[in-house]
Amino acid sequence: MLAQVDTFVGPEVGWFALSPMLTLLGGALSLMLIGALTPQWPKGMYATYAAVVAAAAGGLAMFQWDDITDSEPTTLVGGAIAFDTLSMFLTITICAALLLVSLLTSDSISGTPNDGPEIYSLYMAAAIGAIVMASANDLIVLFLGLETLSLALYVLAASNRRSGESAEAGIKYFVLGGFASAFFLYGIALIYGATGTTNISEMVAVLHSSVDVFHADSLALAGIALLLVGLGFKVAAAPFHVWAPDVYQGSPTPVTAFMASVGKAAAFAAMLRVLVIALPFYRDDWRPIVWVLALLSLLVGSFLAIVQNNVKRMLAYSSISHAGFILVGVEAAAHRAGEADPGSGMPAVVMYLLLYSVLVIGSFAVVAIVQRDSGGDASLDAFKGLATRHPMLAIGMTVFLLAQAGVPFTSGFVAKFGVIQAAADEHSYAIAIIAMVVAVVAAFVYLKIMVSMWFADRADDAPRIVVPFFAGLTVFAAVIFTLLVGVFPGWLIDAADTVTAYAR
Amino acid sequence: MLASEAGTLAFPILTAIVLVPIVGALIVALMPKSRPELPKMVALLSSAATGAMTIWLMSSFETGDSGFQFVSKHEWIEPWGISWHLGVDGISLFLVVLTGVLFPLVIAGIDPHHDERPYLAWLLMLQAGVLGSFLSLDLFVFFIFFEIVLVPMYFLIGGWGYENRVYAATKFFLYTMLGSAFMLVGIVATVAIAADDLGKTTFDLVEIAEGASFAASTGRWLFFAFAIAFAVKVPIFPLHTWLPDAHTQAPTAGSVVLAGVMLKLGTYGFLRFGLYLFPEASFWSRPLWLTLAVIGIIYGAIAATMQMDLKRLVAYSSVAHMGFIVLGIFAFTTQSMSGSTIQMINHGVSTGALFLLVGMIYERRKTRKISELNGIQKVAPVFAAGFMIVMLSSIGVPGLNGFVGEFLILTGSFLTARWWTVVAAAGVILAALYLLWAYQRVFHGEPDEENKKFRELSLKEGMVLLPFIGVIVFMGVYPKPVLDRIEPTIDVLITHVEAHTDYVEPEPTIQIGVVTDHGEEGDHGEEGEDNDTEHEGDEDDGDDGHEGEGD
Amino acid sequence: MAELVWLIPAFPLVGFLTILLFGRRMGDPLSGWFATAMVFASFIASVGVYSDLLGMDEAERSHVESLFSWVPVGNLQIDLAFLVDPLSITMCLFVTGIGGLIHMYSIGYMHGDAKFSKFFLYLNLFIFSMTLLVLGENLLVTFLGWEGVGTCSYFLIAFWQTRESAATAGKKAFITNRVGDWGVMLAMFLAFSAVGSISYSVLNNNAEAGLLSETTATGIAVLLFVGAVGKSAQLPLYVWLPDAMEGPTPVSALIHAATMVTAGVFLMIRINPVLAVSADWVGPMIAWVGAVTALFAATIALAQSDIKKVLAYSTISQLGYMFLAVGTGAYVAALFHMITHAFFKALLFLGSGSVIHGMNDEQDMNKMGKLFKFMPITASTFIVGWLAIAGVPPFAGFWSKDEILLFALADNTALYVLGLITALLTALYMTRMVIMTFFGEAKWTSFANDDEAPEVAEGEEPIETHGAHGEFKPHESPVIMLIPLVVLSVLAIAGGVIQLPSLWGVPDDVEHTLESWLHAQVIFGEADITGTWADEHLGLLVLFAVASAVVGILLGWLIYQRKRIKPWEPSLFANGWFYDRTVTRFMGGPGRKSFEGVAEFDSKVVDGAVNGVAVAVTETATQARKGQTGYVRQYAGLIGIATVLLLGWFVVIRGIL
Repeated sequence: MLAQVDTFVGPEVGWFALSPMLTLLGGALSLMLIGALTPQWPKGMYATYAAVVAAAAGGLAMFQWDDITDSEPTTLVGGAIAFDTLSMFLTITICAALLLVSLLTSDSISGTPNDGPEIYSLYMAAAIGAIVMASANDLIVLFLGLETLSLALYVLAASNRRSGESAEAGIKYFVLGGFASAFFLYGIALIYGATGTTNISEMVAVLHSSVDVFHADSLALAGIALLLVGLGFKVAAAPFHVWAPDVYQGSPTPVTAFMASVGKAAAFAAMLRVLVIALPFYRDDWRPIVWVLALLSLLVGSFLAIVQNNVKRMLAYSSISHAGFILVGVEAAAHRAGEADPGSGMPAVVMYLLLYSVLVIGSFAVVAIVQRDSGGDASLDAFKGLATRHPMLAIGMTVFLLAQAGVPFTSGFVAKFGVIQAAADEHSYAIAIIAMVVAVVAAFVYLKIMVSMWFADRADDAPRIVVPFFAGLTVFAAVIFTLLVGVFPGWLIDAADTVTAYAR
Repeated sequence: MLASEAGTLAFPILTAIVLVPIVGALIVALMPKSRPELPKMVALLSSAATGAMTIWLMSSFETGDSGFQFVSKHEWIEPWGISWHLGVDGISLFLVVLTGVLFPLVIAGIDPHHDERPYLAWLLMLQAGVLGSFLSLDLFVFFIFFEIVLVPMYFLIGGWGYENRVYAATKFFLYTMLGSAFMLVGIVATVAIAADDLGKTTFDLVEIAEGASFAASTGRWLFFAFAIAFAVKVPIFPLHTWLPDAHTQAPTAGSVVLAGVMLKLGTYGFLRFGLYLFPEASFWSRPLWLTLAVIGIIYGAIAATMQMDLKRLVAYSSVAHMGFIVLGIFAFTTQSMSGSTIQMINHGVSTGALFLLVGMIYERRKTRKISELNGIQKVAPVFAAGFMIVMLSSIGVPGLNGFVGEFLILTGSFLTARWWTVVAAAGVILAALYLLWAYQRVFHGEPDEENKKFRELSLKEGMVLLPFIGVIVFMGVYPKPVLDRIEPTIDVLITHVEAHTDYVEPEPTIQIGVVTDHGEEGDHGEEGEDNDTEHEGDEDDGDDGHEGEGD
Repeated sequence: MAELVWLIPAFPLVGFLTILLFGRRMGDPLSGWFATAMVFASFIASVGVYSDLLGMDEAERSHVESLFSWVPVGNLQIDLAFLVDPLSITMCLFVTGIGGLIHMYSIGYMHGDAKFSKFFLYLNLFIFSMTLLVLGENLLVTFLGWEGVGTCSYFLIAFWQTRESAATAGKKAFITNRVGDWGVMLAMFLAFSAVGSISYSVLNNNAEAGLLSETTATGIAVLLFVGAVGKSAQLPLYVWLPDAMEGPTPVSALIHAATMVTAGVFLMIRINPVLAVSADWVGPMIAWVGAVTALFAATIALAQSDIKKVLAYSTISQLGYMFLAVGTGAYVAALFHMITHAFFKALLFLGSGSVIHGMNDEQDMNKMGKLFKFMPITASTFIVGWLAIAGVPPFAGFWSKDEILLFALADNTALYVLGLITALLTALYMTRMVIMTFFGEAKWTSFANDDEAPEVAEGEEPIETHGAHGEFKPHESPVIMLIPLVVLSVLAIAGGVIQLPSLWGVPDDVEHTLESWLHAQVIFGEADITGTWADEHLGLLVLFAVASAVVGILLGWLIYQRKRIKPWEPSLFANGWFYDRTVTRFMGGPGRKSFEGVAEFDSKVVDGAVNGVAVAVTETATQARKGQTGYVRQYAGLIGIATVLLLGWFVVIRGIL
């Protein structure tokens, strides 16, 4: 033991490969530091700072992308971090989300006591956690990332000091999140007990090397069950979704957007790592569960959404049904997990994550803008006659809603199509059809919002809607992206496909 | 329907036909509010340009060539094997022309009363969408166009419709979307399965139809996935209830377009995709479709008779008429299928015109209630005359377009689906019943105070109505040019079905010269026998010239 | 000249189009004259073709003149073609001839009507369609005309559309005819499926060559007969014809007496070879339908008080005769009677029109009488028509009816008896009519018409003589209306010459002119009665026929003139055996109920299901929503339960089992 300590050699780190994370880290710390020392910055400066950092990190990630596709995917920090296209794709996704959310945030908190550097550095911290989750090659590291993300989110949820709802959201999220994390951690422990390692690569190797010994080992299976609880909670898949509506509704809208985009993306990435990459050996055991989770999420998400009359809550539920759709993709991926040709499940999932992140941020951005002028009211009434009050905004929202409904020529259609195609490739038609049919139910929700925007007469006392620059920019960017991908998705699909090609 | 695609063109006319309205829509949408007269001009211009192009298409269409013409094919979404593949053949040609011509008329003739800009933009979007779905030869491209048309129509109904518009719009959107939900899965499954045969993933209709072969059971599942979507769109009983609401609540333009072209997306889909991709399945399931079609014919007519609302009445009449088209398609004979194809146009014209006229009535009287209308013929004879002509064509009076289609459909269907046809023909009686009764209540009798003020057909309205009536008469008197372009494609399609099933199309042949001459009995006998052997191939209820069970 | 046959329909078409475009400007009476001219032109064309055919010898008298390919799809090749042969030309001759006369008459009759030009518009369109019908080379062209005349009759019955009854009558006519059309359409489908064509020549030649199986032939024949029953107002579809009298009287004369209603008979004659090879029950069936209808309608005519209604039922009855002839294979006789009937029935209708006209639109015979001295010409021509229809020699009706009865007896005595009784009744009710209208005492002096006159009630400017109210004298009609009457009465007297039987005193070279003329067309189907008892005792039959006519007239004279016998007009007859009423009641009652049921079903069940789904979804959601309480402990509990379930699945089901 001691001898080993003497001869301890730090693992080969590969600093440049970690640069996106480091950039964010630097950004977060520096913003905290400088923000604390300097007086209040002029309007939007914090946001701009965060945005720039995010952009930088994203840009770096793209460099890495090329490196990987040119050479081979590897691991970093002694096999703790996977350096592959999957992680990079999600890094880019997360950075993009971070960028958009930061821009959005500045307008909705400017002029309130919440304005300040903290929230942005929390964003960045959370983003780091998310990226770590997405690129973890070791369950412990994954847990590390998960906790980083979660803790940041807890605080963010409660960050609106003025609102009791926000505090309540924070508490709820914290308590339940801790509850779930515990399960997750215990799951890791059990897996370790079963396989003798927490490192994903080794895990795969071990499980394959010794089939008969480990097959149907209750220990491992129990571990998977608990891991699924944790992951299910994070992705807000029914029946672990219960926290989502309350928290989404309670948190400040930009934070909600952040949760729905970054939070989901990271959680699903983790799910891919843990289930598809680490435990293909047990795929027949956990695939049915994913199937069930998908079904429940689809049903709960769309059914409950239609009886809401608060737009934020509607979107919360719709995000649950979207989770269901993504799970359909995971289910498809499960069929070929661990095989040489992993099928189109994983690409479909990651593409969905990216496209949905943009969509959901865009949607919440509009909500935030409307709320800003209607005293925080996000009910359907607040949207009445939006088409006449601010046509452009209404059009933007309509695009997002139609996209979420999966109407062609929008990114949302491409995303859904990808997932369904993946499912069809694996002959799991049942869930595919269910998903599409349920999507019709969900569509009703989006129509409801569109009706109040377009076909309902504005209330006489309806406040004027002013679209602040940054928020408007967010919406605009999201709309452009949504339509662009809707018409020319080829490049994105190519990119997503490499995820499997260069995954570890 | 041939895999070989003749006549690829330097200038991608079809792409232009789809894009011009979209561009027009964008321009209209971005028009400054300060120039209220501009949007209409632009809209008219772009839609008319599209119409002109479609007419050019018709004029330079290679008659007798059964394959796709003016084909343009470009890679679009390579990783998924999706290509921008457009082409037109005998089946789609006239639907394209109809779509091209209908919209300028609608735009010119009907005034939305409020928010003209978005209204026009949506209409143009709709035109593009419909044209796209008629032209596309790629499953993916077809689907996205098939699906996208919902959006403009949803907004047209919801934004410019009548009292119950939101309900109708939502119902329309969700009902149709539900149908296409199945089709989407069907499409991806088809492609996935075909990929094994073709060795590559492609959404190309022709490649799949000609290259891939599906196991009977698989083919049937896939076919039904498609069929549900089409059945909703047609609509086939009992999936029709979205139609009366949508029709009644939609603004006049919406109703005209809906009846004129959008319903055809369903029947067209059956012909182009259902039969072409899954000949075995479609043939296997024909009793179902024939039965539903016939039910639709009778049921729709009866329901129409009892409607109190003029628009609703016409809507139900559509259900009946579309039933004829479905009957013709699934009778699998040259006559019936050509009949269905031409009837798609005829129904589009006649019913479109009917909705136009009903719209004019509403404009004047602000009611669609039959009970509140009377004696209009006395105060507006010309208007009444116009309505009468359109009505007669819808009733199917010979010499007008409606008859040609119905006659061909029934004649053809009688060969392979005798008893269905016998019932269906009774629908012709009912058609007269509900329309004449409605006409009597609305136009005959003494006008009351309200209706005395009924304004006579204005010049502008007449100008819009005239083309409809022109087509109604022309197609009734001289349909040959149209039929000549349709038939080759239909023949190939039937051959395609025959190749994949044990079906043999019964082809009754003349056994004896036209000129009266009693000197040839001898060889008639032999020819008679030939005829018999020819009929051996018919399936169960197929017809035999000599045992003809005709009474 | 035969190749110019297209001129026959062309002229009325030109008339139609011209009036369609300039009718309002041409106005009254110019448009009327123009229309009349067009029809006469078409008549001249027919004469031209006729003389052309006369020149040829029998074999070559059948030409097909094809204009253009109409509906060509695969093996179904339908041209818009005309079949020029003695049959079609004969039809053309009397259609256009009588049509012309009635046009002329209408100029006077419709004078002053607000829709004067429109009337002639429809009338020309009708002649056009009718010529298409008779000239058609295939079933479809005939059907085109068939539906065309039907539509025109709809327009013209409902001509005074502001009158509720007129509108309803028009609709009724159209729809009832549609029932028949259904049969015609099916017949076409069957023909095509059997012989691959629907042209008469192919169909008939197949039949003659024995290539048409009996079943198929029967099918076609019966289905076409269904159509004929509708068009020619036979039982059970006759109900529309009496109501059709709502139309202006010239319309009743032209469409509902002389031409259109005979289309069914024509169609039967056209396809007589098919009839001949069809099952042997088809002929008798047709004959019986005809005979029964003839008697049935005659009884009703006996008790009508409306002058036009009497003539309407009489028409139905006479058409019954024609079908009796068709059924007994007497095609020549059928056509012969069709022509003579056209003469005298047109005459009678126009006469009645003249009367109505002179009586300020009074149609009730109970309010007439003694009119002879006020309208002598009308009366005398009318009397000619009466004698003709009653079957008094040597008037036209006598010869044709006699011929029919001859064949009837040759075929079946019962039919003959029915025919004879009908003949007697015919004489009776016509006598009744003539006496009530022109003789007896004047019942109109008391009557001053205001509300009775529908047109006046309509406020449409009636013709000036109608202005007179209160004390008025019936007046003779203008010359323009009388000329056709005179011409027709001449025809009604002499019409018989075209087909004289071989009786004593009849020079051989004028016997059976029509028969020899039509020989090639009907020879295959025509029944051969030479040597039958009936044929042997032709003279005897003639006596019976004459006797029945005379008895009928005498009875009539005794009952209505001399008042020796109390008139027997049971309400059963007056109400047309309650047939129409029953049908109507059924349609309005159970029929309508069932329709409403369907509509109900649609909204409640079919659509209800759709909305039901929506409601169900919302309901479940509202219930499920209650689970979302907002209590952390509850959420945690749920997660806990889910965890346990997951563990259960993995450890127990997957792991241990």
